Amino acid sequence: NTEGPEVLYLGHTLPQTHPVHKGMLEFQKALEKKSKGTLKVKIFPDGQLGSERELLELLQIGSVAATKVSAAPLSNFIPEYNVMGIPYLFRNKEHQFSVLEGPIGKSILEKGSKFWLRGLCYYDAGSRSFYTSKKAIRTPEDLNGLKIRVQNNQMAINMVNTMGGDATPLAYGELYTAIQQGVVDGAENNPPSFVSSNHYEISKYYTLDEHSSVPDVLLIGTKYWDKLSEEQKIWVQEAADESAQAQKRFWKESVEESMKVAKEAGVEIIIPEKSLFAEKSKSVVEKFVKEYPEMESLVNQIKNN
Amino acid sequence: MSKSELIFNKVNKILEWFLIIIFALLVLDVLFQVFSRYLLGQSFTWTEEFARFSLIWMTILGAAYLNAKKEHLSMDFLYDKMSVANKRKTAILIEVFIFLFALIVMVIGGLNLVYTTLHLEQLSGTLRIPLGYVYAVLPFSGFLIMCFSIYHISGVYSNKNKS
Amino acid sequence: MSIEIISIIVLFVSFFTLLLLKVPVAYSIGISTTISLLLNIDKMPGLTTIAQRMTTGIDSFALLAIPFFVLAGEIMKQGGIANRLINFAKSLVASLPGGLAYVNVLASMLFGAISGSAVAAASAIGSIMTDRMEEEGYPRALSASVNITSSTTGLLIPPSNILIVYALASGGTASVAALFIAGYLPGILLGLAIMGYVAFIAINRGYARGKRATLLEVWTYFRKAFFSLLLLVIVVGGIVAGIFTATEASVIAVLYAAILALIYGDMKMKDFPKVFLTSAKTTAVVMFLICTSMAMSWLFSFEGIPEMISTFLLDSLSNKFAIFLAINIILLIIGTFMDMTPAVLIFTPIFLPVVTTLGMDPVHFGIVIVLNLCIGICTPPVGTLLFVGSGVANVSVTKVIKSLLPFLAIMVAVLMLISFIPEISMFLPRLFGL
Ligand code: NA
Ligand code: NA
Repeated sequence: NTEGPEVLYLGHTLPQTHPVHKGMLEFQKALEKKSKGTLKVKIFPDGQLGSERELLELLQIGSVAATKVSAAPLSNFIPEYNVMGIPYLFRNKEHQFSVLEGPIGKSILEKGSKFWLRGLCYYDAGSRSFYTSKKAIRTPEDLNGLKIRVQNNQMAINMVNTMGGDATPLAYGELYTAIQQGVVDGAENNPPSFVSSNHYEISKYYTLDEHSSVPDVLLIGTKYWDKLSEEQKIWVQEAADESAQAQKRFWKESVEESMKVAKEAGVEIIIPEKSLFAEKSKSVVEKFVKEYPEMESLVNQIKNN
Repeated sequence: MSKSELIFNKVNKILEWFLIIIFALLVLDVLFQVFSRYLLGQSFTWTEEFARFSLIWMTILGAAYLNAKKEHLSMDFLYDKMSVANKRKTAILIEVFIFLFALIVMVIGGLNLVYTTLHLEQLSGTLRIPLGYVYAVLPFSGFLIMCFSIYHISGVYSNKNKS
Repeated sequence: MSIEIISIIVLFVSFFTLLLLKVPVAYSIGISTTISLLLNIDKMPGLTTIAQRMTTGIDSFALLAIPFFVLAGEIMKQGGIANRLINFAKSLVASLPGGLAYVNVLASMLFGAISGSAVAAASAIGSIMTDRMEEEGYPRALSASVNITSSTTGLLIPPSNILIVYALASGGTASVAALFIAGYLPGILLGLAIMGYVAFIAINRGYARGKRATLLEVWTYFRKAFFSLLLLVIVVGGIVAGIFTATEASVIAVLYAAILALIYGDMKMKDFPKVFLTSAKTTAVVMFLICTSMAMSWLFSFEGIPEMISTFLLDSLSNKFAIFLAINIILLIIGTFMDMTPAVLIFTPIFLPVVTTLGMDPVHFGIVIVLNLCIGICTPPVGTLLFVGSGVANVSVTKVIKSLLPFLAIMVAVLMLISFIPEISMFLPRLFGL
């Protein structure tokens, strides 16, 4: 039907209060403005249309046009995204986004087209840090013997185990109760998620060691993308780029807000000597490069950027 | 016993053993997960994924088996009031509906899903097996369900001829 | 008319037509979903999406608790556990007025609690109790009514598969552990309410009392039932104490039940394959319903139905209590013609956002929705428990329905209490900090 506006269905798994969702609202606004209302975006938050992996498949199948996922599930297709999970790969936020928004990041986004998933832009998802319920982590040695919940991927497991902890992969939905009941001693995440998951209610300590900075990625299915005109493609890309800049502001505000909430709830915020943690996790990258030798040059390129 | 009946029974026997073995593996897998954490103090990444994939296979193969046995949950408050002739017609209609669903969604939709995931080389998170193999249970069971429907329809006809 | 409205009408009309034609419920859901979705999107992506939703809909570690609790229940059904529970219940309550009816209630509650299945409880207890009650002058239809309604308490008292399904449908906002603890008081309250009504009838009609058991007898029967009852402590205690998650608890229940059955001699090693197969079948019935229900609930999200209904409810009804009441009535109607599992999977995502906006706890709503649907499985036209209960009691469904009506009224009264007094459900979870 050529009469009404064309609607782009965008599904993701975050709640509507999340700063990355706000970034996508910017994308929606910008695209409608650029296309003068001929291209509309309908956003489905809260995992209404499926988990991250399932949404990627729905893009490939062609029933959903776009999604936002963490880089982690993308590494099942594109091993380059694995690299982003290496602990202390990025020196700081400036370094991270100069890499991601430069030629290296762009070339990784383009690699997805081969898998019918075209990357549009990166969103800031901050850095992940440890939080614990009973024992504070001040140095890497404090991790010894602590059961830390991690996402079910090898890099995260290796990292926690190498630092001396006991990595415990567990479903995210079971985590709140697991911390509370002591099935695990702690977990790791960025400040906005630490607060939105309510885990700050049951964790006394938040150790800002910032061990990994995996970005979020906005993607569009090539099944949908290929149907767009050249002009529409430019609008979509520009809208994505603009939303990425706005989103970084939302993220910063959200981190400040979350830290305030956590502090007021009585969570002790610990600023540790990050280099000790970086030192202790060094062998993770060595192990990774040994397993994926073809990734070595990319790792070095990023480090020398 | 007719030849089709023999094959039908044979297929059911195989399905039964499949289900029993998958279920037993499922129990052992999750028990291992609990005990490895407590006794070995170590968690393995593959136990959860193996359990989830086994559950998918057990469910959808189990659904095919239920079709063979006609043991799916259904509502017979109207059916009970029908005449014998109408019951026979309805029984065929039910199998036709099931056949079409199995063909269109499970076999055609399922094969496209398997094709897409295999073609795009999607691997599972920890076991690193192609996800297409997990989804393959759908067209496989769909095919079995289609065969069972044909078998049941032919059964209705041969019963009619007998009576 | 918008395409959304048309496809919803198509969905419901085709669904009910198929259901009436005795097409299996799971297929009725799947076929109507397919027809409706194809009105909205291209054929191949549409079909492939349904195939994907059917598979990924059950790709959940939490759902594993279902086959495991089914298996544990099946293992326990093999042995003399029903008799052990009945004897224990009898030693406790048989001497009260209407004693045997209490025994029925209590035994159904205990069996339902342990097995997590109302149908298993109704069939195991009902088949034994109806005859015994008839000897003392109870009409069979009355026994069946007592048995049917009291068996539903097992769906509230943990472990309970339907609460696990709800936890999944709530998208993780309600944890299984909290739901399990929350179910105790409502389940017991429902049991007590049924006993209260039974007492009323028994005194009015002068049914006989049993003889009072001595403490020694109570102790003997308790000892015989002890290891079966201990399962409840291990499962729920293990979850609350943080020793394992709900899914892990379910596999521990399997191990425990298997060891118990082997020790008691209720089962031999060679009996296990058959038990595995029976459980795999029961699991497939429930899980395949989940498969197609998940596809239907995806279709609802895709068309923005939850949003539409919640906007409608919030805009047209000003009062919080009116909205809760409206949701209860809708759920009761849904329950009469829909089985529990698909109803929970399809309607939780629709109503949960509405009630949480109004300040209801997702755990509390879980208890409310399950109790609502507990009433539904006791009513025609679609009433699994009603049919099973009448079947094992050997009475016609029509006769049972007549004596069932006051029991259903009691259940509705309890439902109202539980809906509007959140503390009944939330007291224990808060006490344990869940
Ligand atoms: Na139970
Ligand atoms: Na009903």
